[in-house]
Amino acid sequence: MQDALTRAGRALRAVLLVALALLFLIPFYLLVRNGLAGESDITAPNWTFFPDRFHWSNLTEVFTDPNLPMARALLNSSLIAVSTTIGTVVLASLAGYGLARIPYRHSSVVFYAILGTLMVPAAVTFVPSFVLVSTLGWISTLRGLVIPTLFSAFACFVFRQYFLGFPQELEDAARVDGLGYWRTYWRIVVPNARPVFAAVGTIVFIGAWNAFLWPLVIGQDRSAWTVQVALSTFTTAQNLNLHELFVAAGVSIVPLVVVFLLLQRYIVAGVERSGIDD
Amino acid sequence: MALAGALAAACGSNTGRGGGGSGPALSQWYHQYGEPGTQQAVKRYAAAYKKADVTVQWRPGDYDRQTAAALLTDSGPDVFEVNGPLLDQIQGGQVADLTDVVAPVRSDFNQAVLAPKIWQDKIWGIPQTVDTQLLYYRKSLLKDAGVQPPQTVDALVDAAKKLTTSKVKGLFLGNDGGVGVLGGTPLFAAGLSLIGEDGKVGFDDPAAARVLAKIRQLYADKSLLLGAPTDWSDPAAFVQGLTAMQWSGLWALPQIKKALGDDFGVLPFPKDGTGGRPSVPVGAYASAVSARSRHKAAATAFAKWLWVDRTDFQQDFALSYGFHIPARLSLAKQAGQLQDGAAADAVRFATEHGYAEPLLWTTADRNAYQDALSRIIKDGANPESELKAVVRKVDAELQRVKKK
Amino acid sequence: MTKSDHQMRDDTAATLPARLLGPQRRNLWFWVFVGPFAIGLALFTYVPLLWSVYLSFFNAHNTVNPTDFVGLGNYTAMLSDDAFLSSLGTFLLFTAFIVPATYALSLSLALMVNRLRFAQAFFRSVFFLPTACSYVVASLIWKLSIFNGVRFGLANTVLGWFGVDQTAWLSTTSPPWYWLVIVTVRLWLQAGFYMILFLAGLQRISPQLYEAAAMDGARPGWQVFRHITFPQLRATSVAVVLLLVINAFQAFDEFYNLLSDARGYPPYARPPLVYLYYTALGRDQNLGLGSAGAVILALIIAMATVVQARWFGLGRKED
Repeated sequence: MQDALTRAGRALRAVLLVALALLFLIPFYLLVRNGLAGESDITAPNWTFFPDRFHWSNLTEVFTDPNLPMARALLNSSLIAVSTTIGTVVLASLAGYGLARIPYRHSSVVFYAILGTLMVPAAVTFVPSFVLVSTLGWISTLRGLVIPTLFSAFACFVFRQYFLGFPQELEDAARVDGLGYWRTYWRIVVPNARPVFAAVGTIVFIGAWNAFLWPLVIGQDRSAWTVQVALSTFTTAQNLNLHELFVAAGVSIVPLVVVFLLLQRYIVAGVERSGIDD
Repeated sequence: MALAGALAAACGSNTGRGGGGSGPALSQWYHQYGEPGTQQAVKRYAAAYKKADVTVQWRPGDYDRQTAAALLTDSGPDVFEVNGPLLDQIQGGQVADLTDVVAPVRSDFNQAVLAPKIWQDKIWGIPQTVDTQLLYYRKSLLKDAGVQPPQTVDALVDAAKKLTTSKVKGLFLGNDGGVGVLGGTPLFAAGLSLIGEDGKVGFDDPAAARVLAKIRQLYADKSLLLGAPTDWSDPAAFVQGLTAMQWSGLWALPQIKKALGDDFGVLPFPKDGTGGRPSVPVGAYASAVSARSRHKAAATAFAKWLWVDRTDFQQDFALSYGFHIPARLSLAKQAGQLQDGAAADAVRFATEHGYAEPLLWTTADRNAYQDALSRIIKDGANPESELKAVVRKVDAELQRVKKK
Repeated sequence: MTKSDHQMRDDTAATLPARLLGPQRRNLWFWVFVGPFAIGLALFTYVPLLWSVYLSFFNAHNTVNPTDFVGLGNYTAMLSDDAFLSSLGTFLLFTAFIVPATYALSLSLALMVNRLRFAQAFFRSVFFLPTACSYVVASLIWKLSIFNGVRFGLANTVLGWFGVDQTAWLSTTSPPWYWLVIVTVRLWLQAGFYMILFLAGLQRISPQLYEAAAMDGARPGWQVFRHITFPQLRATSVAVVLLLVINAFQAFDEFYNLLSDARGYPPYARPPLVYLYYTALGRDQNLGLGSAGAVILALIIAMATVVQARWFGLGRKED
């Protein structure tokens, strides 16, 4: 009887999983369908699952449209995402380690001061931040797009939590060998903490790639547009070109999807072992 | 680091630079126009200017927000087009006085769109082109349904209802049901105004509630197209046959003509009640000079050169890409494209029935009014009590801005 | 503890520079590690934050260097503004819905995926993949393809097969279908990420617990979930709920991309950040009033977080 139940349960679960997976894949399907369709296929009154023929020329259209510097935007987004990820991970991991491992009388004050910024909505500081960055002369520069976003309290918090649970013995051994904090950190701690670096790095990379408001306002010059800003030009244009919008949106997620598919085992392992959920 | 250097260098090499002139470097901002060719055109104009090196920036996204934020800093534009300038920008000293620049040709500008650029007898922006909105209708669909082009708001409500079928809606006023685009248009149609000549609230009158209740009726009848992928500013919904009538801009006319040939006509927003009159909103993006510009004199000289002196460029800008009425009366008269058919009707409506939002109608006023309008149209809220709250709010705003 | 007490007493006897450096130069090393981050955070978060607080006491139309001091005027104006208060209500409604919904969905996904014997990696990837999408992209798909209000929208097409009329999902206020659109975007985007967190939590539950439960005759399924799995996931649950609430408070992108148009934003489904955007940071530059609203919002978030942390007993293990 119990076996029958569990078998029925398992079948139910399989059906549910497949149904949910299909639901989750619908948006990707729509990106492909609409992106490779002709304009009239999209707006046709009768639904077609795929257009009669794929308009591969939409892909070249999106890269040759003089109003849409898509290639340049992809390059900019990559540069920004990579430099933001490296910078954030280095800064936040150092700070997290210092907070977790170096005894200091005011350590908890510093920690709560950092943690508190998690609760400040971006809109609170948006205008003064903009004025500050512009006073520094950083408008439309990589510095302006990247540096103000490097100080992630969330990343710092995750690293601190992780290092709190890091086996002390490893470090003690290093100290016995006469290594100071600095060399212990780089030689012992970092190589043994790869999962948390992978996890935080991925989250930061996604955030940097998908950021919208800050690049929109700081990257004023067309040559400093990111992919998200380039995409937003569609919705503000007086005439909406649906197939080009969808193909551009598809192109914008390809790099992240590829990264995900190639690295997902490490990402998942990283998130699982990083203790983000502790 | 190498990567970082690459982008920094790339950002430094400014692609928008006209390279035409020597002299001070000026930056000029435009919001993103939908019409192909406009961007190339404004760069061409900038490159033709020899007394300064003008860089054009083409800004997608929320343009008003970007200019507002940039005007707080030193890295903003020198010359910029603006859907204003707003009263708070003028009072805050953010834009330069352009009275002397416009003075010689002041009477040649369309007075309706010039008026909101004036505060305390000074001119703060040069109107670029006149934009106007119209009611487009599909002749064949109206004929099939036995409906006459509506001349009153009541007739519009009836027509929209009769034209609505399971596949085609009667009227498209934008995806929000007309809240955003209509603004003061129905109030004008009822013979009222936003801010009266006396500087007081212009719609503290039962006629206001009456006409807005009729707009609500359109929504309640399910005659309105809602949730189209494109909004009122894009003729796509009309051209694709999703709606029999659409409220849209004059700029959409060439596209509609191309798609539908002669199977369409244009109307002003119809009048309502005995004191009513047909109502056509007009407005103009203006070219303004930032008060924080490091080269204010040079920037002013450039604005004058382009938007006062170079009538050939003004003509080209208004008519070669999109479809706008030149802001200069002398140019509007010469424009061949505006002489016949629906375009001529549109120009006549704009001249005879045009109204512009007054400078005293602030953003806070508009937000309060739009919120009320949305509740009246979509939720069926009581128009009288909603409007009373708006009148109070507008009164308070008028007190605030007049104090300065 | 006694050891560090000793050291502290030693400190007081030492010279000033030595005291500043701390034992084994720990103070120095602390700031070498934490300093760069702390300085950056101070410059790019605290300076603008304090500037905003400063602005909130002034009549600051179109300026960040105001002179017209109004005291608490902006705060009283904001707290008596119906639209702002109703935006807080909107936020509460949204949170009350999105937090449990995401929690339930991501936990269910994790439970279903966790015990799969085949194709586990496939299903995990499918649910995790949306995390790679931006709110901009997702909102475009939702608004223009799935939930557009005309006949070629996916939702309307599917309903059309069953003879249901077209629905203008984002424009209709009764019934408020727009909530369906808003909530599903966020669910799709974030459920996979929290599923991974739950999967990690599930991996850590010791198999012996399940064995013991089976010996005690607990039936697999609900009983085991209720008495073993769920209590064991407590730490994960707390973290997930905290993150969800903070994220819900900061909601902006999907609301803005789904509901705004060139002329503004409707008075419904308008969370506080969107309202503040239109009051102060958009075309209307009422920076004093907007800053006051933002400060109020930040205080509410801070309070909610502290209350939650107390409630869940978070931070106890560090004390």
